[in-house]
Order: sequence, then C-alpha cells, then structure tokens
Amino acid sequence: MISLKKRFLTELIGTFFLVFIGTGSAVITLMITQGTTPPNAFNIGIGALGGLGDWFAIGMAFGLTVAVLIYATGHISGCHINPAVTIALWATRKFPGSEVVPYIVAQLIGASLASFILAGVLGMNAVTVGGLGATAPFEGVSYIQAIIAELVGTFLLMFVIMGAAVDKRATPGFAGLSIGLTVAAVITTVGNITGSSINPARTFGPYLGDLILGGTNLWNYYPIYVIGPIVGAILAAFIYQYISSEEKLPAGKVIRE
Amino acid sequence: MKCYMCALEGKDSDAVAICVVCGMGLCMDHVIREEIEIWEGGFPLPSKKLEKTLPKMLCEWCYEAYQSG
Repeated sequence: MISLKKRFLTELIGTFFLVFIGTGSAVITLMITQGTTPPNAFNIGIGALGGLGDWFAIGMAFGLTVAVLIYATGHISGCHINPAVTIALWATRKFPGSEVVPYIVAQLIGASLASFILAGVLGMNAVTVGGLGATAPFEGVSYIQAIIAELVGTFLLMFVIMGAAVDKRATPGFAGLSIGLTVAAVITTVGNITGSSINPARTFGPYLGDLILGGTNLWNYYPIYVIGPIVGAILAAFIYQYISSEEKLPAGKVIRE
Repeated sequence: MKCYMCALEGKDSDAVAICVVCGMGLCMDHVIREEIEIWEGGFPLPSKKLEKTLPKMLCEWCYEAYQSG
C-alpha cells in the first residue's frame, strides 16, 4: 500500500480541488448576480440566472470534480475527500481507525487552502459577496430541518459509494461517474435548503477563510454540517450492509451437492 | 514442443515455456521471465500490492517489442 504520508498528501490535494472548483462555482455565481434584486427571501442570488439551473451548474461543478478525482486518486488514497465518508468506512470496519485522524486533518487542510487561494485569485469580493461559498441554512429552514437535509443528502452519497464501489458485485468502472452524478443531484435539490455541504471539510474551509479574512462568522451553523453528514453516512453504510447481505441458511438446512 | 529460437540456430532443444504473446516454444536459455506486480482494491479504499508477483513468460522478440513501447 502507498505510504500514509503520500495518501495524506493525496487527500489534501483532492479536497483542495473539490473546494476550489466546487465552492468557486458558487462564489462566482454570487459575484455574477451581484446587484440584481432577488425575487424573494429564499433566493440569495444563486437562482437569479436560471432558477434551479444555477444549482444544477454548481452541483455539476462539484460532481464532475468528484468523479475525476475518484478516477485519478481512488486507487492511491481511496479518494474520500470527505470526513463523513472516512468515518463511515471506519465505522463499518473497512478502514483502519489509526488512519481516520490523519485523513480528516488532510481534508481540512486541503479545504482551507482552497478557500484562501480562491480569495487570493478572486479578490475580497469572493469573501464579501460570495462568502467563499460557505454554507448556511436558507430563509425559513430551522436548525433541525437543516441537519435532516444534510443527513438525507449524505445518506444518498454514502449509499451510492457502498453500492457502486465498496460492494464487490458493483459494475466495475462506474463508481466515479455514479458518485459524481449523485453529488450533483443532491446539490441541485438540497442546495437551496442548506447550501448542500454533505461534507464537513467542504464547509470548514470557507468558514475558516471567512473568519480570518473578515467575512461573516457562521461557525454557529457548523454542527449542522458535522452531525448531518456523519450520521447520514454511517446510517447509509450500515443499512447498505444489511440490505445487501445474503440470508444465512439455518444449520439444519445446509444444502450439500 | 521444441524451442523455436534454438531451431533457428540449428539446434534441437525441448521447450520449457511458451511465450504468452506469440505462443513460441522456448527453452531455458531463450525464455525471458518478467514479474508482474498485482494491485487489488481501490476506491474508496487504497489499493494494496499483493506480496507475490505473477510470472510472465516472453520470447526475446516480444520482450523487445514491449520495451520499445
């Protein structure tokens, strides 16, 4: 197996690109729509160009990045690029506990670097107008509703990871494509509810960047993006394991040929 | 089966292997054995290299063709 040091670097690079490309698409959408008058309080600017199409575009930016990163680095580090995925794989005893913390640290560093470099290349408007793509519940969405939305979104993501990649019966070669499309689909719908993080690292980077660079302090919302994704991913992993396992024959009914 | 390379040199020797690419019979003097690393697994878990390698028997010509690629 590739050394932990190299896998650490791979996770860092993967999460960097996920956050740079993914949140970058949200930041740029907000910068493009700056000055337009949103039709209602449920519209923060993403949606002003093409309604749900804006969220689809942002979802595809995330989804395509996830897909190509899986094909590029999946065999090196496993391409988790998401603490919720790392923890769910550990919970189902597929990933060693001793490597959980290094993986999560790498993901958080990669995400943070991406947010700072995004601010560097776009200027302070990325912070003041785009909020570095930080996620927060939308108008009328309660804390609990937001947690449930993140839970449901991450459940689907982890469920597809289990079915399309972990399960040895999965069709070979389609994991990246199916998981990338899942991310895009989840963001298209959950985007205008919570920002659709489904990844604690993806929210950590913009939150840290906003805090240090003078943007809005949103850390009181961070538990939403930790609890929802982690609980959703663990539930999905265990439920998939249960529904996909074969029934064991009773001892007295063993068939011999 | 006889060794094709020996036959070209006018010698007669028994083959002990067959080139996996062209099917040529080869004696111990003419067979080239390559060790192929095997990796298993992958996303969402890191790939693991198996302890043992797989042998790959090649004749001189096919080996050179591979090397030129």
